[in-house]
Amino acid sequence: MSVASGLPAAPAGREGATPGLGEVILGPGAVTPGLGPYRLAWRRLRGNRVALAFGLLFLAIALVSVLAPLYAHQIAKTGPDENHITETIKVGGRTLEVVSPGGIPIGPTWRSRFFLGADQNGRDIAVRLLYGGRNSLFIGAVATTITMVLAILVGLLSGYSRGPVDGVLSRAMDVLWAYPAVLLGVALGVVFALGGIDLGLFHLQGSSLLVPAVIVGVVYVPYVAKALRGQVLGLREREFVDAARAQGLGHVRIMLGEILPNLASTIVVLVPLMLANSILREASLSVRGAGVQPPSPSWGTMIAEGIRFIPAAIHTTLVPGIMLMLAVLGINVFGDGLRDALDPRARVRVGRSPVSAEIET
Amino acid sequence: MTVSQGSAPDFLDPGLGYTTQAANADWISYTGLLTYAHEAGTAGSKLIPGVATDLGKISPNGRVYVFTLRKGLVYSNGEPVHARDFAHTIERSIKLNWGGKSFFTGNIEGAEAFDKGQAHTISGITTNELTGQIVIKLLSPFGAFPNVLAFPSAALLPSNTPMTNLSNNPPPGVGPYMITNVVPNQSYSVVRNPKWSQDNIPGIPAGHVDIAVKINPNTQSEAERVLNNTADIFDWADTIPPSLLPQIESHASDRFAKESTVSNFFFFLNTQTKPFNSELARQAVVTGLDQRALSRLNSGFLAPGCFFLPPGMPGHPRGACPYGDPNAAPNIAKAKELVQRSGMAGTPVTVWSETRAPKREYATYYTNLLNQIGFKATQKVIADAQYFATIGNLSTNAQTGYANWSQDFPNPSDFYLLLDANSIQPQNNGNFSQVKDPHIQNELAVLNAVPTTKLASVVSRWEALDEYVARKAYVAVFGYGQQPKFFSDRIDFGAAVFHPVYGNDWTTIQLK
Amino acid sequence: MARFVARRLFSMVLVLFTISILTFLIFQAIPNGDPALRLAGRTATAPQIEDVRRQWGFDKPIYVQYARTMEKIIDGEVISYSQQQNVEQEVWRDLPVTISLALGAGILFLIFGVLFGVLSAITAGRTTDRALTVLAMFGISMPAFFLAAVMSYYLGYKWGIFPIGGYVKLTDDPWGWFTHLIMPWVSLAILQVGVYSRLLRSNILDTLGEDYVRTARAKGLSERRVLSRHVLRNSLIPVVSLWGLDLAALFGGGALLIEIVFDLHGVGQYAAESIGRLDVPPILVITMLTAFFVVLMSAITDILYAALDPRIRFS
Repeated sequence: MSVASGLPAAPAGREGATPGLGEVILGPGAVTPGLGPYRLAWRRLRGNRVALAFGLLFLAIALVSVLAPLYAHQIAKTGPDENHITETIKVGGRTLEVVSPGGIPIGPTWRSRFFLGADQNGRDIAVRLLYGGRNSLFIGAVATTITMVLAILVGLLSGYSRGPVDGVLSRAMDVLWAYPAVLLGVALGVVFALGGIDLGLFHLQGSSLLVPAVIVGVVYVPYVAKALRGQVLGLREREFVDAARAQGLGHVRIMLGEILPNLASTIVVLVPLMLANSILREASLSVRGAGVQPPSPSWGTMIAEGIRFIPAAIHTTLVPGIMLMLAVLGINVFGDGLRDALDPRARVRVGRSPVSAEIET
Repeated sequence: MTVSQGSAPDFLDPGLGYTTQAANADWISYTGLLTYAHEAGTAGSKLIPGVATDLGKISPNGRVYVFTLRKGLVYSNGEPVHARDFAHTIERSIKLNWGGKSFFTGNIEGAEAFDKGQAHTISGITTNELTGQIVIKLLSPFGAFPNVLAFPSAALLPSNTPMTNLSNNPPPGVGPYMITNVVPNQSYSVVRNPKWSQDNIPGIPAGHVDIAVKINPNTQSEAERVLNNTADIFDWADTIPPSLLPQIESHASDRFAKESTVSNFFFFLNTQTKPFNSELARQAVVTGLDQRALSRLNSGFLAPGCFFLPPGMPGHPRGACPYGDPNAAPNIAKAKELVQRSGMAGTPVTVWSETRAPKREYATYYTNLLNQIGFKATQKVIADAQYFATIGNLSTNAQTGYANWSQDFPNPSDFYLLLDANSIQPQNNGNFSQVKDPHIQNELAVLNAVPTTKLASVVSRWEALDEYVARKAYVAVFGYGQQPKFFSDRIDFGAAVFHPVYGNDWTTIQLK
Repeated sequence: MARFVARRLFSMVLVLFTISILTFLIFQAIPNGDPALRLAGRTATAPQIEDVRRQWGFDKPIYVQYARTMEKIIDGEVISYSQQQNVEQEVWRDLPVTISLALGAGILFLIFGVLFGVLSAITAGRTTDRALTVLAMFGISMPAFFLAAVMSYYLGYKWGIFPIGGYVKLTDDPWGWFTHLIMPWVSLAILQVGVYSRLLRSNILDTLGEDYVRTARAKGLSERRVLSRHVLRNSLIPVVSLWGLDLAALFGGGALLIEIVFDLHGVGQYAAESIGRLDVPPILVITMLTAFFVVLMSAITDILYAALDPRIRFS
């Protein structure tokens, strides 16, 4: 067995056949004896200011979402569900209607009340944005965890074992994917909206936030599993896997110890994508009754409700959209940094010196 | 002429069509014994003879209707019209399971037996080919029966029309127009009927232009096309997106108007369960409702009012609203006090609504209001397709939620179906408030039997009944529907009739 | 190869069968979803609802209903509940629209996904990479229907650059076909461009660290050659598998919202309308169609794997 180009077989790859994480082969010139791999990674991460800044950005968004009641009570002086449709507000000496008689909500006032404008029900968008962050981030986190855990299991089993196991798992994924994700989500959403899910020990109320999280989480498993399976198919033919097998390691150990670490970068890339995706998908369930129950806000539902106000009140979609983007961007750049810190060889750039050096200086 | 329609007609076959989109094309392509005057406003609610020579003779006991067919009528395919075609048409609509077939089976003698397959014909309908006489016997007097005869589903079709869904290739009919070129869910044409000159029924205009209908589910682009004159008619049953409204009002004010439709919007209040079994609790809701807010949620397309019967419907009361001016700010303090007095403060309430905007937004506002005045309300939004089945299922025991009604025909009994104790049923219940009021029942027993053509004699009694319903606060009415009349520059806006029953009357569309 | 095809064909039938049963069961479970209630109309009486139930066979046990529906689907005679239209005729009529939309968008997101991914990888850590990252995140955070609505308003209505929605047949007017589809293609592609470029970037960076790449470089191969022959080829594998999946879902009407925004009248729009009406026959046919494409595309991507990476054997 040889590599595509007919190059001489490379020595054991990656964390490869060398047992124990302590002996990770590091990138050129990066070997620092006497430090554990995680402390080493932490050091590198600490040096990556950009990644840290974006990580903090995400944390900040999560934090202000948690502190939503503080903003609501102290600054905006209104709750997330309070309608102010027929009220007026003074902005710079002018009296403006919160919602015009034609139904167009006011844009950002940049003042304590309606800082980012109002929605069609005359609710304070800034307040809803913060409260919505709680719901959206919770659903996003749960759904992404479900997707990633199941997809990793399926991808590993399917790609590694091939044969009948792969056949069954892959076709099961085909079945799941054959439903346009929107369709399956909506169909399940409609079913569960009134009844909730009852699987013996596991009971969900129709109004629980876990309903959309579970639905979205499961629906996207095939998408991630397929990508991972493709990689595993390639990895299992690699020399370090052969070497591990020759050493007599069990299949489970090979899958978890040898192959999984090599999927890390794909996983790190997919997590923010799935997070954004599940936060948006929740909206399509909400409108069918299986997501966040109105009037509770979520970024996804705020975007979906605002669509019909484009372009007259485009802030109703832009504000939650930008917030979502910032959150996802934060996780993404931080994830990139984390991956680079754990696996510095990925930093080797085409025909140049390692980027890590560039950033660390 | 291009008409942009947001949703496809359910069925173009007149024997099956029930939605406004279907009626728009069907009522000018298929004429029944009676039809409506092609006029705007209340004048359009007037019944005129269609293929019959006059409005018919009604027996003193109100159970026998006698009509005579006009002589020399032909269908759009040139075949002559026969009296027996009427019987075939009614049989066909019943066999095809038309959505309103209970108007036939529940009223015409022998129609039920025919429906069940116990008879080959409807015994209550007899026709005479020589005299052209058509006699219809009813089970009991039903005042709105002349209106039933004006439904496109009762419009005459040739006796050899098969009893199958012909929506893709609609059968010939009597009317100034005929439906052709049907591509399901995409487009169809409504063109002038070349044989109409032979029929030429008085009161039905011949039409000026042929119409091509395109189905465009995105109302935003539908409105944009009419605004920039690439389409000519915005379907009156669609909603103009709020974001385009300012532009339309400023740039196209000469070809845009808000037209009132005979329809109401209300929150039903379940009178059989807590908290709205308490009259004070119901009064609190009506007192607290801010119709100005609800109107804004519908981009201002909502005329304020508190009575169940809308303006334009005979029997709409002229008096003041019992619980505050619907044009003004509501008295929230009074509403709170009423909740306290009712002893229902803190009662949990689930507010039901459909998904589609702005229905969900109505419910959102309403939930907020209920919480504000002292209830403990939560919102429940469910898919449109299962909504009426859910709240109409008595086991759901829905406490309150969104509902609406648009007239099927200009007779108040059509609306009072929703407050009639007799329409309460375990599934598909239409009396969402579950009103069981002896006074209403006594009045309906009399009023429902008065023929539409003699409605004027009982208008004041309908008004009194509707005022009574408003006082009892059985439903919280929050306005009456308004729809856009919106055309391209090419059309003579003033000449086009907005019909109270069927909206834009295509027979009156003409170029400038 | 023959065995591979035979096995895949067999599993395709199995998948379609499973899909049809699942769909049937899901819609059976919808509370108050009884189609007879909707078919009978809002004012129908209890006996009338019972009539409708009997006439349509909704009173039969579920397996009988299922068998009858499948029989009709196989004979091409199944009709929708809400409009009583032949479902398969509608789907065949709408399919060219959806395939035009999916293929165009698929080509677009593959090209730009790969382009941005490679660009991002070779400039990793520099401004271009950062800018592309922000762009990619924008792409995945803004739902396609938002971009579609904004484009449709400004490019279509306001500035009149592209037609406002609608579909023109390729055979009638190729240029019209193209101009009508540009906005749908772009709005549909942006999400995937984001996904693919991020994925490819990370895979390229991974592969660059591989020993054989270093060896190839050490042998004095040009950077271009290293990139195209060794790096890109290996990095493309997960992207290709996702492309197959995305395309299959789009073929089967996955682009519901985009088709509605641009009034394309494709399979997706039909699916969306049918979901709105809880109309089981069209939903059943469309999911089976999607399943067909998914199985087909997953077979094709498996063949592509083998072509891209000769170490992977046919299984």
